[in-house]
Amino acid sequence: MPFFNHRNNLIHAAIAIVLSAINIYIVLSLEPPNLAQGIFGNIFYIHVPVAWTAFLLYLGVMISGVLFLTKKNKVWDHRGLAFAEVGTIFMFLVLTTGPIWAKPAWGIFWPWEPRLTTSLILFLIFLGYFMLREFGGNPEQVSRYAAVVGILAFLDVPLIFLSVKFWLPEMQSHPQVGQYFDSANPLPTYFLIFSFLSLLVVSSLMIRLRTNILSVKEAN
Amino acid sequence: MFIFGLSITLIFALAFQVAPMLIRTFAPGLLWVVILFTSVLGLNRLFSLEREEHAMWSWTSAPVDRGTVYISKVISALLFVLMSEILFIVPFFIFLNLPANFSFFQFALILFLGTGAIVSVGCLISGITLQAGLRDVLIPILLFPSASPVAIAATKCTGSLFDQKPMTEWNFWLLILGSFFVIFGMFGYLVFNRIVEE
Repeated sequence: MPFFNHRNNLIHAAIAIVLSAINIYIVLSLEPPNLAQGIFGNIFYIHVPVAWTAFLLYLGVMISGVLFLTKKNKVWDHRGLAFAEVGTIFMFLVLTTGPIWAKPAWGIFWPWEPRLTTSLILFLIFLGYFMLREFGGNPEQVSRYAAVVGILAFLDVPLIFLSVKFWLPEMQSHPQVGQYFDSANPLPTYFLIFSFLSLLVVSSLMIRLRTNILSVKEAN
Repeated sequence: MFIFGLSITLIFALAFQVAPMLIRTFAPGLLWVVILFTSVLGLNRLFSLEREEHAMWSWTSAPVDRGTVYISKVISALLFVLMSEILFIVPFFIFLNLPANFSFFQFALILFLGTGAIVSVGCLISGITLQAGLRDVLIPILLFPSASPVAIAATKCTGSLFDQKPMTEWNFWLLILGSFFVIFGMFGYLVFNRIVEE
């Protein structure tokens, strides 16, 4: 049965569309917190929630990997692949929106900021993950190998972040970020959280759809 | 591995002749680039006998924990890479005209921890790509980004040592190298059983 023939899936898709439309409207119509950055300042409302979602999805790859290796249920392999694919799309968005925001905020497109650099390294590891999925050999074994790479990638995150952070200590402070988390004016924080929740709904729909496609493929 | 390391050193020495004053600044980074590339060469050959002779069954059927096989692979790869490092580091200093006025014990410690960190994750990746068609391509593609904290930490340690800074200023980077070595060594030991399952 096609995925969108289920009533619950249709409702999920409808909620995702409505939330995304509201999110886009907010981002485009909101007054930027820092007028010097102009409309580019509002990319932050997309960039940060997308980054949170991407890291969460990669955490999903790790959890799916652990569950696949312990339970040996093929569903966890499908979920792991779906998490990885959607996570990589989100990570690509992080790496695109980050430099667009960095140019007006820092004056350069690529500031070697720890979080951005960690995102780039994780993105590269996951490109290797997809190559392994494609060229790794026997599909049965590749599922196990991919699960291990998914866990390895997430274990690497704290070490990558710490090394990049102390590699360029002058990049530790983010005076530009503080303006979005001001206790006197909590509205930008609420918008960030709303954007994050809407992206969670969109990404969960993408994962469910992809998992469904992979399961149908496997069944045939 | 030794000849490969020596060849890259020669290329670096020739390429940087245009700016001999800068070479001291770049030397720690260049050294770890050579070590990383040399390690890839060693890791490519790590499971070659099992692959070419289809001999994997001999140790998958052995009555030992497969994690032990991983540890033995790490130890053998570490020894081979360290031996080749010892051989090409001398010409590295001679060709690039670098002064060797630092503690050799601390330098050996950095080399051991840095190489151990690369090899611990490298053996795991080498095992993962055992059956892969594009094995030679997959190993560096997976290893380089995964080992990027090692490249940063090892270069920082070596740079500080070459600049004769006190160890208290850069022991944080040694800690990163040691943590990487231990975390991925333990991870490899735990999951190697799953990797080589028939």
